[in-house]
Amino acid sequence: MKNTLALYFQREWQLMFRNTSSMIQPLVFFIIIALLFPFSLPAEGALLQKIGGGVIWVSAVLATMLSLESMFHSDYQDGTLEQMLIHPRSLPLAMLGKALAHWTSTGLVLTLFSPILCITFNIPNEQIWVLFSGLLLGTPSLSLIGAIGAALTVTLRRGGVLIAIVILPLYIPILIFGAGMLSQSSQGLEVASQLYALAAILMLSLTLTPFAIAGALRVTIN
Amino acid sequence: MANSMAPSSKQISAAQLSAIKLCCHRGDNQLFNDISFEVSAGQCLHVTGPNGCGKTSLLRILCGLNQAEGGQVLWQGKAISGNHAFFSSCAYVAHKEGLKNELTAIENLRYYQQLDARRDEVVLDRLLSKMGLLSCADLLAQNLSFGQRRRLSFARLLIANFSLWILDEPFTGIDNSGRELIETLCVEHLEAGGSIIMTHHQSLNDSPLNRYRNELALSKA
Repeated sequence: MKNTLALYFQREWQLMFRNTSSMIQPLVFFIIIALLFPFSLPAEGALLQKIGGGVIWVSAVLATMLSLESMFHSDYQDGTLEQMLIHPRSLPLAMLGKALAHWTSTGLVLTLFSPILCITFNIPNEQIWVLFSGLLLGTPSLSLIGAIGAALTVTLRRGGVLIAIVILPLYIPILIFGAGMLSQSSQGLEVASQLYALAAILMLSLTLTPFAIAGALRVTIN
Repeated sequence: MANSMAPSSKQISAAQLSAIKLCCHRGDNQLFNDISFEVSAGQCLHVTGPNGCGKTSLLRILCGLNQAEGGQVLWQGKAISGNHAFFSSCAYVAHKEGLKNELTAIENLRYYQQLDARRDEVVLDRLLSKMGLLSCADLLAQNLSFGQRRRLSFARLLIANFSLWILDEPFTGIDNSGRELIETLCVEHLEAGGSIIMTHHQSLNDSPLNRYRNELALSKA
């Protein structure tokens, strides 16, 4: 029989391809938020260059938040979530598959698109790679931690605001390390320590959050 | 309060599922208190009672979705919580069918097959044909009628060898031929040594299931 993680990952992708708006919305939202800044700030290349990394990180966090509400909602509505909960297959593994699929459709897409936004902010080429690698390591944690908030609010009708209140404080360390890398590298300093910190957060998220998501779902559905 | 059925010593040895002194509250209301029963192989437990008396809550406790405020549920003598053998043997068909609107009928069934058994397209075709859904195999679930969706959710019961079927109002929204079909499936399941726990607001006196039936009447507290 097929591996639980692969099965859920593949199923999420199949569903996302049938409902492409769920993939496109976070990307469009990400681009629009990031582009509002160059329009609204004084046209100084140096200023944009200075704040660009932070703006892109905040946009990525908000775009991920936007897509979290729908993560378990349709599963709850159509009863597939209940079937997952009483299935003998490992629920944490299933949740890991779901969260990773969520990341590939939001965080990964945003990361791949971020170099183009960097050009808008006039960020130098060597720093584009710093931002790219930071987003690549940081965005999976955003999806995994965010899934806990989505699981806790799945039965609420308008859970989006509550997810933001519960989850945004938990995103702060990722934001600090991720956006900090750029200011550090612009001063010609090493960014390895921030990358290690993001990697450590990712490892913790990968190993611990699936259990938290599964526990949160069991409590909420009960 | 609920009537409880005292298990005989003969039933205890053959009991598949035993509920012991179950209590359930919803907010401050007590739905039922201290109910005990057993379901043996080849037996159909028909849970009856007026709306709001806790039939669905009882089924959700029995399949492990909800926790009872008191009492316990045993599967072959072991508590169901974290019991892999129980969850492998139990199938629950609820009001929410567990179907994805974005997938076709056969894709929905294929997903459950991949979860519970080896992938086999011939089996899927046979199941759809048995449930009278072969002509809509490639229709999206959102385009199926309510009755067709119910039939599809029943096809899931036959994918793997589940020995306990927990059915919440199985005949709702289903036409006469569909009802006959589901009753036949249930009888075949019971004859093969399976057990069924179902809620249904009408009497089963005229149903072929009557022979296997045991009744548990819940009443409003």
